[in-house]
Amino acid sequence: MTNATDQVSIRRKMGRLAPVLPALIVSVAAAIAFILFPYDLAFLTRIVIMMIFVLSFDLILGYAGIATLGHAAMYGCGAYAAGLVSLHLASDPLIGLLAGAVAGALIAWISGCVLLRAQGVALLMISIAVTMVLQETASQARWLTGGADGLAGITVSPLLGMFEFDFVGQVAFVYSVCILIAVLIFCCILASSPFGLALRGIEGSASRMRAIGTPVYRRKVTVYVIAGAIAGIAGALAAQVTGLVGIEVFNFSLSADVMVMLIVGGAGRLYGALVGTLVFMVVHHIAAGIDPFNWLFVIGFMLLIIVFALPKGLISLPDRLVALLRRKP
Amino acid sequence: MSIIFSIVVDGVAYGMILFMISVGLSITMGLMRIINLAHGGFALLGGAAVHVLSVRLGVPFWIASFTAVIIVIVLALVLERLLYRHIYGFGELGQVLATIGIVFLMIATVNLFLGSTILSLGAPQSLTAAVDLGFKTLPLHRVIVILAGFIIMASLWLLMEKTRFGIYLRAAVDNKVAAASLGINTPRVFLAAFAIGAGLAAFGGILGAELLPIEAYYPLRYMVLFLIVVSVGGLGSIPGSFAASLGLGILDTAGRYLLPGTGTIFFFLAITALLALRPQGLMGKAQ
Amino acid sequence: MKFKKFALCAVVTAAFSTASTMALAETIKVGVIATFSGPNAIWGKQFREAIDVYVAQHGDEVAGNKVEFIYKDVGGPNADASKAAAQELLVREGVKYLAGFDFTPNAIAVAPLTKQAKVPAVIFNAGTSAINKQSEFFLRTSFTLSQLAQPAAQWAAKSGAKKVVTAVSDYNPGIDAEAAFSSSFEKNGGAIVEKIRMPLQTTDFAPFMQRIKASGADAVFAFLPVGPATFAFTKAYNENGLKAAGISFYGTGETDETTLDALGDQAIGLVTAYHYSAAHDSELNRSFVAKLKELHPGSHANMASVGAYDGVDLIYKMIKVAGTDGQKAVEAAKGLEWESPRGPVKIDPVSRHVIQNVYIRQVERAADGTLINKEIATIPNVPDLGFNP
Repeated sequence: MTNATDQVSIRRKMGRLAPVLPALIVSVAAAIAFILFPYDLAFLTRIVIMMIFVLSFDLILGYAGIATLGHAAMYGCGAYAAGLVSLHLASDPLIGLLAGAVAGALIAWISGCVLLRAQGVALLMISIAVTMVLQETASQARWLTGGADGLAGITVSPLLGMFEFDFVGQVAFVYSVCILIAVLIFCCILASSPFGLALRGIEGSASRMRAIGTPVYRRKVTVYVIAGAIAGIAGALAAQVTGLVGIEVFNFSLSADVMVMLIVGGAGRLYGALVGTLVFMVVHHIAAGIDPFNWLFVIGFMLLIIVFALPKGLISLPDRLVALLRRKP
Repeated sequence: MSIIFSIVVDGVAYGMILFMISVGLSITMGLMRIINLAHGGFALLGGAAVHVLSVRLGVPFWIASFTAVIIVIVLALVLERLLYRHIYGFGELGQVLATIGIVFLMIATVNLFLGSTILSLGAPQSLTAAVDLGFKTLPLHRVIVILAGFIIMASLWLLMEKTRFGIYLRAAVDNKVAAASLGINTPRVFLAAFAIGAGLAAFGGILGAELLPIEAYYPLRYMVLFLIVVSVGGLGSIPGSFAASLGLGILDTAGRYLLPGTGTIFFFLAITALLALRPQGLMGKAQ
Repeated sequence: MKFKKFALCAVVTAAFSTASTMALAETIKVGVIATFSGPNAIWGKQFREAIDVYVAQHGDEVAGNKVEFIYKDVGGPNADASKAAAQELLVREGVKYLAGFDFTPNAIAVAPLTKQAKVPAVIFNAGTSAINKQSEFFLRTSFTLSQLAQPAAQWAAKSGAKKVVTAVSDYNPGIDAEAAFSSSFEKNGGAIVEKIRMPLQTTDFAPFMQRIKASGADAVFAFLPVGPATFAFTKAYNENGLKAAGISFYGTGETDETTLDALGDQAIGLVTAYHYSAAHDSELNRSFVAKLKELHPGSHANMASVGAYDGVDLIYKMIKVAGTDGQKAVEAAKGLEWESPRGPVKIDPVSRHVIQNVYIRQVERAADGTLINKEIATIPNVPDLGFNP
């Protein structure tokens, strides 16, 4: 009965289920949120889109250990691409997402070829500089992007030809959640694939991976392009939901926020990206609602407490609690 | 010809301010291997203290400035003992998070007490008098900024080359562990370096307020600028920061003068190219 | 179809809501979307304080309805946040009027919502002419750059300027200002010798001053966003000897009341064309400024304050006529004339933008030692000259 092969096959089945589990959790949580907060769907949609964006950043920072401060570059290009496609070519939302993904991947590939050769502070600074160049270009190319006024008038046709984007934001929310789930499943599969393991190896020690024959630079470029495509999708979603793209999509503060949200949640674990985004945005929203002038105090203290009490991010909270409880008796 | 001169003079003045504010950041980043995103906050606090002392309490500008630098140094000593000492031990990401938290608190404090508008430092009118250089006129405070920049560069050089503290500091930058095992009290060196860096930031913030006006969001608004100077100069290198500040100041000024529309794009492309070719910066050690 | 769903939602809300919300049935909510945090928090602060003043002077009751203001922070130019805030205000809070909007993208992002919900949105600041074309529910109580730059050009020509350099921030409002000033100035017989566009992030303007000097112009027209940029620009104008070289200055909002004190004596003599000065000589303005100082000591009335004050005034007037009927309210607002702290104003029935006097002002020290924008000439009843329907 208790032969080893059975156990292995069960574990295998569990392993096959594993990528679906986070997706299940997210769908249930989204359904609960949809019922409990029917009037906050617009804000919830913003959180979901941000989650996709932070997930893409987790792939490069958490898994491959590439720290950048210019992830908004891919998000912004995705947003502009989706906006331009819907204005001039096709208004179908899924085509817009595809355009966003392609644009994000393309800019990631072009910039990645340069910046992934650098490390540390130089890498950070090059990624910032790339985003600045893009922002300045978007601001100058008024004929194409609308400049500082923003690319306005983006409308998308009903989703799958059936669901019109409604006033309350129900369709937009469900649409964004579906994309989030798809991205999450993809990330889970990617993380547990040999490619994902290679990335973890690179994060641990690039020189060792090089020694065992992994083409480190090529792997980094690949994951950067994948993350760029996902960030582009997030930007495209934002463009479609808001109907306007401003040059603020390339803001340094957006790149910094994404990094903060990921570290708050815990880098290198996909749940961390989700939890960090949720907590950061909800705390920000509530604090800014209570006292719009002084909420920065709340965020500042929150960051310090988290970094001192939970250096591995909020996702490590259960482990820490368990450890604390075990120590007592 | 006079155009070139005037670009160089304006660029040098701008670069000197960048140098004074950034050099402390370069030392701490090179020495403690800490990404201190709150560094600009010390410049802000310096400026805010001068505003309170001179504009609100009527203290003469020069005395107010001196007091403000001392206040910031004391504050930096306290912060180093209470917070930064622990932050050194965090990973890169923890450092980013912690120092962003600190800078948020600094901004929120200034915003709470002084609001988010530009804070006048109450500098005497005589500082704005125009000085005629022959090929161009320059306000007196810019002349002072340029002179102060050279004096600070010279005194830092003396400090690093001619004093025991300088020897300790250089040893610690080169190899922290080896320095500690040779009996150098590295925590004390860290503390002193951190305080000097913060004091210089405050000094630069006050002197540079004409160019980079003091307001609550100062540290975030110019954070990228200071980081660029440090990375282009090379972490931990004082001459590197000096060269980078002047170079970037002149490059930025020339770009704006000669190519107003696209100057910013060229500025950032130049930085990208430079860092791609020399990731360690102009005078940093190769990693 | 869409609206049906919304109505359905409203029914659901009513079913869920408790007795306490029923008691407040005649409360009319006004959602104010603006920037209360971040580097641009001054906008939200000025809006809110002006609204406080208006409510303190006029009470919170209009025609038997209680008016309640709900503030939403969007943290700067952020179209995503602005649209989500508007959705939340409309769907959950059930606001009947939207207001605020400091930045152009924030206003444009809510255009489709105002049309769907038929809710008037009163813009307190965002000044691109094209905004009001995006929705027939947009009304605006601020200014557009054409509205200011053309009078500035006429004044410059009248005061004897022949050759002018324009120096504007390199973004849409700056380009608008440059275009409006240039065409008007050339029409008046002047010549534009150079058009300088300065990067938005610039704070060191010495190189541009050198360029202006080298161009051989006898005057410079400037437009920059209020804040560090205007502060540093006016400082650089003085310190680089432009004034001494006889190059006169024509601006718009560079001598804004909130940065004037920081500029100090150097600001004295600067000439600007603008729609509001805190030193405007009228009973109404004096009581507005006095009340502001009483409620918020240390605050300065500026164009953002008067935009919000008049915006709320307009909302009160609309409520009086139309209650919560958005369509009727907008119709009622068209052509409305009244006395504002800035002077006489009228809502243009076509552009739904405010027609107002543009004042030529000069900075001087008032009797009490503070710096003020003293009005020295008036160009009456200027509409939004950049609006093409």
